[in-house]
Amino acid sequence: MNETAGYYSKHSIMEDFLYEVVEITQAIWDGVLFGSTYALIGIGFTLIFGAMGKLNMAYAGAAIAGAYVGLAVSMVFDAPIIFVFAVSALVSTFMGYIVYQTCFRFIPTHNHLAALMASVGGLFLIDEVIVLATRGSPMNFPGLFEDAYFEIGPFGIRGDLIFVFFIGLVSTVVLLYVLFKTRLGMATRAVAQQEVAAQLCGINIHHTNSITFSIAGLLGGIAGAMTAAAVGVLSPVVILPLTIKGLIVTVIGGLGSIPGAIIAGLFVGGFENFFLYVRGIDERDMYVVALLFIFLVFRPNGLFSKTINRD
Amino acid sequence: MLKIKSISKHFGGVKALNELDLEVGEGDIFGVIGPNGSGKSTLINVICGIFQPTKGDVVFYGQTISGKPTHQRLKTGIARTFQNIRLFPNLTVWQNLWVARNSVEDIKTESSFYRWFGKSIIVKKEIEEMLEFSNLENRADELASSLAFGEQRRLELARAVATKPRLLLLDEPAAGMNKDEIRDLDSRIRSLQLQGITIILIEHVMELVMGVTDRIAVLNFGSKIAEGNPQEIQKNEAVQEAYLGYSEDD
Amino acid sequence: MDFYLNLINTIGIHTMLGLSAYLLLQTGQLSLAQAGFFAVGSYTAAILTVIFQWNILPAVLAAMLLSGCLAFLVGFPALRVKGLMLVVATIAFSEFVRMFFYNLKWRVSREGEEIGPDGTMGFAEIRYFSDNGWSNLEVTLFLWTFVIIVMGIVWWSDNSRSGAVLRAVGQDELAASSVGINLTVIKVSAMTAGGFIAGLSGGLYAHQVTSLDHHSFTVLLGTFAIAYPILGGLSNVFGTLVAVIFIQGLLVEGLRFLGDWRMILFGLLIVLAMNFKPRGLFDQQTIGIIKRLIKV
Repeated sequence: MNETAGYYSKHSIMEDFLYEVVEITQAIWDGVLFGSTYALIGIGFTLIFGAMGKLNMAYAGAAIAGAYVGLAVSMVFDAPIIFVFAVSALVSTFMGYIVYQTCFRFIPTHNHLAALMASVGGLFLIDEVIVLATRGSPMNFPGLFEDAYFEIGPFGIRGDLIFVFFIGLVSTVVLLYVLFKTRLGMATRAVAQQEVAAQLCGINIHHTNSITFSIAGLLGGIAGAMTAAAVGVLSPVVILPLTIKGLIVTVIGGLGSIPGAIIAGLFVGGFENFFLYVRGIDERDMYVVALLFIFLVFRPNGLFSKTINRD
Repeated sequence: MLKIKSISKHFGGVKALNELDLEVGEGDIFGVIGPNGSGKSTLINVICGIFQPTKGDVVFYGQTISGKPTHQRLKTGIARTFQNIRLFPNLTVWQNLWVARNSVEDIKTESSFYRWFGKSIIVKKEIEEMLEFSNLENRADELASSLAFGEQRRLELARAVATKPRLLLLDEPAAGMNKDEIRDLDSRIRSLQLQGITIILIEHVMELVMGVTDRIAVLNFGSKIAEGNPQEIQKNEAVQEAYLGYSEDD
Repeated sequence: MDFYLNLINTIGIHTMLGLSAYLLLQTGQLSLAQAGFFAVGSYTAAILTVIFQWNILPAVLAAMLLSGCLAFLVGFPALRVKGLMLVVATIAFSEFVRMFFYNLKWRVSREGEEIGPDGTMGFAEIRYFSDNGWSNLEVTLFLWTFVIIVMGIVWWSDNSRSGAVLRAVGQDELAASSVGINLTVIKVSAMTAGGFIAGLSGGLYAHQVTSLDHHSFTVLLGTFAIAYPILGGLSNVFGTLVAVIFIQGLLVEGLRFLGDWRMILFGLLIVLAMNFKPRGLFDQQTIGIIKRLIKV
């Protein structure tokens, strides 16, 4: 009798441990999939930084605003969910253009302070308009493949997260194609590398920059829609944390580096979810911030240094 | 007093300075000339500490200063002017000089309170002398950005001198000047030499270099191709080839 | 009357907050860490008076000291990173501090009552002023004594060698180091001084509002902190004061009837201001014009 009792207690320690390993792996896996949205936001910040050397603080605000408009449109017209995503992305694209015109275009290039403050003002504006329009209450946001759920052994794979990741992947590939295989992309990279010389070659930098902001806006809109789809709820309180996480991802990845933003986004997603499982929601974000500080102390230039090139 | 020992400075694949050896004696006015891209500005930046040499050492009065940051080199007595004038645009002429003068910690006798408010009598007198030296007395309270080009150049020079340097590096000070201004600059540099300051002059404007320097080194592609007094340099074939692509004998 | 005293108090505290960002902004560093130092000052002073039953003056001064030391420690690694990365680092720092206090639970039983910071429930019962019979007027005078002192110190800095050095660093770092200015020392000093001032104002704030909630210490507060000096112009102490009066007095209070539209107006105002007067409402040019007008 004692022997069997001993066997069962040892066995259950083993079981507990394996259970933890499975749960942690699951958490990290889900987090990495969700991290594709962070990667998109990170790419957006990094694109703008690469082009103008400035941070667009209104970025995540425009992304979420697009998601809201998409939702509103879908409530008026009974449209398929893909339509909601598409509208969100397009609205954010347009908002990216507007943010450029109002917060960056007319401010002297060297004046970083003013551009930053202006985009912060833009962020407030967007945030408050959303709060006013929705009276601050969160709204349900549709997702695709929510019911899809596959099991591989002890692991579960959420279909909606796979979809989110897939959309992120496709967006990134298309972006890289545009940046490296089209004339528009080349102009963007030229302006990012040498603004004065680009002008001398006949490139209109205001035109190019507004396109850069629009492309970033498009990515942001996709990210905003995907975030809302994955979480299932849309609320203005998500804007600030999304901004901060996006900035952290951009810095960890290296300001101006697209591959950096991608890797950092996925990493932060997994990292954050790990700590969500281990320490709970109240402390989770503190660890993400601590991760940033570690990078700033040991690797201030991020994973890859400032370059908009793929290599 | 200044020894450049086999200095190399590589930027990636580009060898801006290639095992350069130079020696500058105390009280000299030493010219450094060479075609564009020969490494003249890189040399100044290495001496000042803005770039660290890839190889070699900078020795100043017997001390190796290669690792020291820029502000510390100022304290050991090395000052410089910039090719594209770098004044503090939103500070007044007086404040530009004041900020520089205050980096020199030689005044222990007067109370700190006076020093901080700039009411230190010695500092005030010295800055007034600098203003006189630069003919900027009635511009003292104007913002540096509102000065005319020639005035800005004079202020740039005065600010460097205000730090009481033993070695003064001038980076193309005559660029954009007309003949009168060059003559004026020539006499200023000579009077600084009389005050005991050693001067290294990087310059393109030949009439200034040939007229005011004691010795000249000629750089090309980061190496020294000639050294001597102005007459020797003018006759040197290697120098002519470097500048013109051919020598007189071709 | 009480309403106006409250407003005056708020203006005072925000002026100090703005001035805490002012010094570092002059050196060209954009730091959103002031909210973090403000929070540390608030909680420290409140914990000292509530849990340890300290007198208000040493509590506030201790809070100031702690925040200043924290700023000093944060300064070294933070100021190694350039420009916009500093923005991100300081945002992250402020958020970290906020989350730390959000999770802080330190309850003590006194006279049958539980007091102290209560994690997610916030920190209420900061009743020093009422417990000790201070009138509202006395609170205002006490607070503003500190405000005047801080304004005086910053004004003195502006007109002395340190002010010129700070602005030189802000205008051209390369030239500044070439004339012998040690950039790191100056930037860390400015950050430390800012930490002291923010901690002081935080300590006073905690006792004025009597209860602390983590929502007060978000990046938004840090943004206000830098908005005041940026809008007011970085060459004059009074510019910051005017900006605070304008934003807190006019926009926040005066336009209360607009309700939530105020914030929208605020955002719009910042966007407009930055486009038309990117060097601040009271930049050198405008001050020059005002001086000439006064002389006439």
